Amino acid sequence: MPPAAFSPARRILEGDRGMKGYIVRNPKLAWREVDGEMVIISPEDSQVHELNETASLIWKHADGRSLEEIAERISTEYEVSLEAARADIGELVTALEQKQLVFVATEVKG
Amino acid sequence: MAELDYPVKRPDTCAPLQISIGNVPLSLFIREETLLAPALRRYHEFAQNSANGFPVHLNEPETRTKMGEFSYLLDDAKLILGSRGAKFYGVRHEYALDSLLRILLTMVLLPQRGFLLHGATVVRDGRAYIFFGRSGAGKSTVASLSPEGSVLTDEISLLRYSNGCWQAHGTPFWGEFRAAGINRLFPIAGLYLLKQASDDRAESLSLKEALRALLPCVLFFTAEKRAHETLLQTLMGLIEEIPCHRLHFRRHAEFWKVIAA
Repeated sequence: MPPAAFSPARRILEGDRGMKGYIVRNPKLAWREVDGEMVIISPEDSQVHELNETASLIWKHADGRSLEEIAERISTEYEVSLEAARADIGELVTALEQKQLVFVATEVKG
Repeated sequence: MAELDYPVKRPDTCAPLQISIGNVPLSLFIREETLLAPALRRYHEFAQNSANGFPVHLNEPETRTKMGEFSYLLDDAKLILGSRGAKFYGVRHEYALDSLLRILLTMVLLPQRGFLLHGATVVRDGRAYIFFGRSGAGKSTVASLSPEGSVLTDEISLLRYSNGCWQAHGTPFWGEFRAAGINRLFPIAGLYLLKQASDDRAESLSLKEALRALLPCVLFFTAEKRAHETLLQTLMGLIEEIPCHRLHFRRHAEFWKVIAA
């Protein structure tokens, strides 16, 4: 796993206009929403992960959508600037990726 | 044709030991006397005459695991579970049989909104109280502080949704007490995560906290995603109906006062 600073998700959200990122949930995981927050189980090692409200929102929308689309969604939902939303989800997506809860597919614009 | 000079017992000539645990009827086909005698003793409280028990064959000649069958290896013993029955291999003593039965029950109960939990079940005023936690949490202590005859198990509780409510069933699975168990069921009044403390108090848990508390205490042996989804759904159904608390207790029977409150 690359260091967080080199995460493609962070680069995209920090304004690398040469890349576009799409996020998907790890299909091997079982999960359940409890009071608006996600509880996720990794069946292979029985590890349990709990997400906070913002990470849960990212998780819910991690169905192949672009990171930019999710940033816009969070910006609207929490009434924060797009820049602030980008910064927040950059960190969260990187953390989710490192725990292998989500995958980010990148597309390099030609 | 050469005659065999020793008697051969075919599987179909072996009368099964019919038992029912958590309303799951099982037909145990045990041919070895060394296993049958302790099994009769261990499960006599759970004996039930039923021709339709889920067949469980012990130590028969091993066959290859088929597609779609669940298998689990426990030390030298093995469980193979198919849709028509289960096979236990390498069972040398009653403890191995007991362990494989627990694993089997977790799989059979799951689609029926049931599961096994590391917990003691105590009945009070016709309702079941589940005290759960990992090893050393105090399950046996709670059981030892409870009146004789009120403990359904001191180790492994069986919870199941049936007849419109969550019920706790007695099990033959015991820890320190090694009792035969009580084959009865009672509606569940509450779930209590045990925490030894210097005072007695019950702290209400949110749904997320309750789920987080229960998950590590559920007996679960499959790595299948769908099974985990079913488990999550079952546990959510339980905690949405039954209050869950963290019970701080001093290893003293006084803890019942905070439960009654």
